[in-house]
Amino acid sequence: MSDETAIRTIGIAKSFAGVPALRGVDFSVRRGEIHALLGQNGAGKSTLVKILNGVHRAGSYKGSILLGDKDVSFRSPLAARAEGVGYVPQEIEVLEQLSVAENVFAGHTGLGRGVLLNRRLLNKRTEALFAELGLAINPRSLVAMLTAAQRHLVMIARALSMRPKVLMLDEPTASLSGAEVDQLFAVLRRLKAQGTTMIYITHRLPEVMAICDRATILRDGRVVAEIDRADFNEERIIYAMSGQKLQRLYPHHAAPTQSEVLLSVRDLSVEGRIGVHRRISGINFEVRAGEILGLVGLLGSGRTEILHAIYGRIPCSGNVKVANHDGPIRSISDARRAGIALLTEDRKRDGLLFNLPVGGNITIGNLEKFAHHQLVSRTNESKAVVQAMRALNVKARSPQASVAHLSGGNQQKLLFARVLMNGPRVLLLDEPTKGVDAATRHEIYRLITELADKGVALVIVASELEEVIGLSDRCVVVADGRQVDEFQRGERDEEQVLRIIAAAQAELTGQTALRTGVAT
Amino acid sequence: MTLATQDDAARAGGFANKMRVLLSVSELGVLVAVIAISLIFYSIAPAFLSAQNIRAIINFVSFVGIIAIGQTVLLIGGEFDLSVGSIAGLSACVTAMLMKDAHLPIFVAIIGGLLLGAAVGLVNGLVVVKLKIPAFIQTLGMLFIGQGLIQVVTGGNPVYPLPESVGNFGATRVIFGLGWSFIFFFIAGLIADFVLRRTVLGRNLYATGGNVEVARLVGINASLYKICAFVFVSVMASISGMFVMADLASGITSIGTGWELTVIAGVVVGGVSLFGGAGTIVGGLLGMLLLQVIQSGLVVIGVGANWQQIAVGTIMVLAVGLDLLRRRVFIGGEGAPSGNGPDAAVAVDPPAIVPAAAAD
Repeated sequence: MSDETAIRTIGIAKSFAGVPALRGVDFSVRRGEIHALLGQNGAGKSTLVKILNGVHRAGSYKGSILLGDKDVSFRSPLAARAEGVGYVPQEIEVLEQLSVAENVFAGHTGLGRGVLLNRRLLNKRTEALFAELGLAINPRSLVAMLTAAQRHLVMIARALSMRPKVLMLDEPTASLSGAEVDQLFAVLRRLKAQGTTMIYITHRLPEVMAICDRATILRDGRVVAEIDRADFNEERIIYAMSGQKLQRLYPHHAAPTQSEVLLSVRDLSVEGRIGVHRRISGINFEVRAGEILGLVGLLGSGRTEILHAIYGRIPCSGNVKVANHDGPIRSISDARRAGIALLTEDRKRDGLLFNLPVGGNITIGNLEKFAHHQLVSRTNESKAVVQAMRALNVKARSPQASVAHLSGGNQQKLLFARVLMNGPRVLLLDEPTKGVDAATRHEIYRLITELADKGVALVIVASELEEVIGLSDRCVVVADGRQVDEFQRGERDEEQVLRIIAAAQAELTGQTALRTGVAT
Repeated sequence: MTLATQDDAARAGGFANKMRVLLSVSELGVLVAVIAISLIFYSIAPAFLSAQNIRAIINFVSFVGIIAIGQTVLLIGGEFDLSVGSIAGLSACVTAMLMKDAHLPIFVAIIGGLLLGAAVGLVNGLVVVKLKIPAFIQTLGMLFIGQGLIQVVTGGNPVYPLPESVGNFGATRVIFGLGWSFIFFFIAGLIADFVLRRTVLGRNLYATGGNVEVARLVGINASLYKICAFVFVSVMASISGMFVMADLASGITSIGTGWELTVIAGVVVGGVSLFGGAGTIVGGLLGMLLLQVIQSGLVVIGVGANWQQIAVGTIMVLAVGLDLLRRRVFIGGEGAPSGNGPDAAVAVDPPAIVPAAAAD
């Protein structure tokens, strides 16, 4: 390791629709080190990464990037790669029907005569690369036959085949098991010994402790700490990650203590399916009328799966009961009949219907309310739409306007109007404030507490710990698909919760990482 | 999304709105096109607007239009059926054989043909929805299976003669010299249009075609809707085949051959989206009429049959291009102002698919 800088950014600032994501980030990585980039969801990690790998084009942000001593600006991810910034994305992106070697060298040219591909050369080059990495994967085998970990290693090899000056690894362990993490760490240590500079993006502290040399911590779009390995200490990192954020004001809400239990979840488990949803097991909780329950966990902890399982969207075992509703909840229609409603996280993917106007988007699923013998009464429907739009302050030109051109905040309020239309008794909210402006955020907070005051039982998932802790009367903490803690309002702060999650993760990955540390 | 593109989007907003207004009344555009093209043909060859020719056009549009009603419903539900021509032919031949060879009463033979159509549609629907085999493959397969079955059951020979009353029914002229097929087509079109626009059923079908996940999340039984739409289009194809059979007073094996593409091309020209969730019955049927007007007009002014095909192909591609443009403007694509926060921004470019310059 040397003191020479491999890559550094100076005063990087970027906003989305006026909301600042990065506010002047000075970030520097020394040659030959594994540098951890840490921060909570929304701290600005992904934005910084996307600037460094050219997804956010030069000109869309302020500030500059120095690669070595050279001032660089990337017009595209392609340009970033050509300049020497390798990137291994979090999701596994491989061409399943091609061989390992073809995957590693996908996108390269000049590996044969003219347009013909020289397979022998390809396989030889791959073997040489794998030898450097210490990998025992046959370059000729089909990628479809590989495990998740091996696929990830193929992606790393692909990034390395470009001989990058800096290699960025985005949450490389997200889809790996404990033993697979060991294998990955062995490769990373080997790469480091060969002098490769790496940026390791994660929110798993045990991994940082196990493998990284230095760490930069982002919070609210700023660098809040830069820590050397010698000073690594979980307390310090957690403190820097949580810190004192912009104090948000949450509407006052006190949960009724003696109200009826509306939703009870017993031993809820979901079988994991790679790339579809994560495995969850042994989830138990109850929500009373008028209570706001927060499901606290990091991205990929299984919190979304819990909501989907309760709503009958994914097959699960265990027992979900809603007061005054007999019979099991096995499907979405069961859940809806029982009075459960779900607001999904991704508006574009499974929220809005772009082929229907604003009004049709609000009433879809509840048309029976305005219909007599299947015939929709236009008067009743438009009356209900106007009423709902007014109640939730949805700003659109008219109920006939297209939903595509509404702001994120208005789209979200429109979806709230939809899920509230049939008066749910249990409301599941997945990231209710994702991608909305500050004003709408407060409207949504107020709405949530109002609903609770009216006796609705709410379950909330949000990426920002501070938000879900601030809003909820009670929180259940999940990590890696398991329930690890439960606390009442005011009993824990963000920092304590992060520590609980880190400890739970350490049980799984930390110990194996430690073992590898001894082995190498 | 970058700041630059957001500014562009804001600037383009006025233009996009104008485009949207223009494109969203696609039915009107198609109607204007039908009238304009008719007038052009009329000015070249006045025989084009003769009562006889108009009757011929409407007659053919009635036959294929009955199927187009079903196809429009299915397309709105997010699927499509390439086997409708085969189903029309198969039902016609089987119904004819039930009358002639099995000596069943006409009414029973018709029920038999309809049940056959419904069964084929049910198979298509179940395979596509439950086994998740793409509609393109399943219904293309069914197209060949149907053609093969027609030859198997008839031995390749026309089924003739049919009971006299069938021929009489086919030859009956009810109004303006048009037969029962037109009456059925007209009434079925009105009913389907009403159902799609005004009922819960119709709205739920649009939702299913627009985004099947959202439809499921709001409690719509999307699978059932799709299967029923497959059955509906098949039954409509059977009915259409039987009308042709009555018109010809025999079960001819070539009934329905090639109609699947005529129907899809027509409704797509009329603004029914190939991607589901968008379009109207009126639009789809006007599209059918437009294509028929063009084909007939080219015949009347003496253009060869091969050029007609070229014209139809070109118009269909243009129409789908228009459909894509319309979708882009509606859904907003890249240029749409979105309030997404930092972490919800652009997806990472998949490295594998993009060819890159080799490292040195």
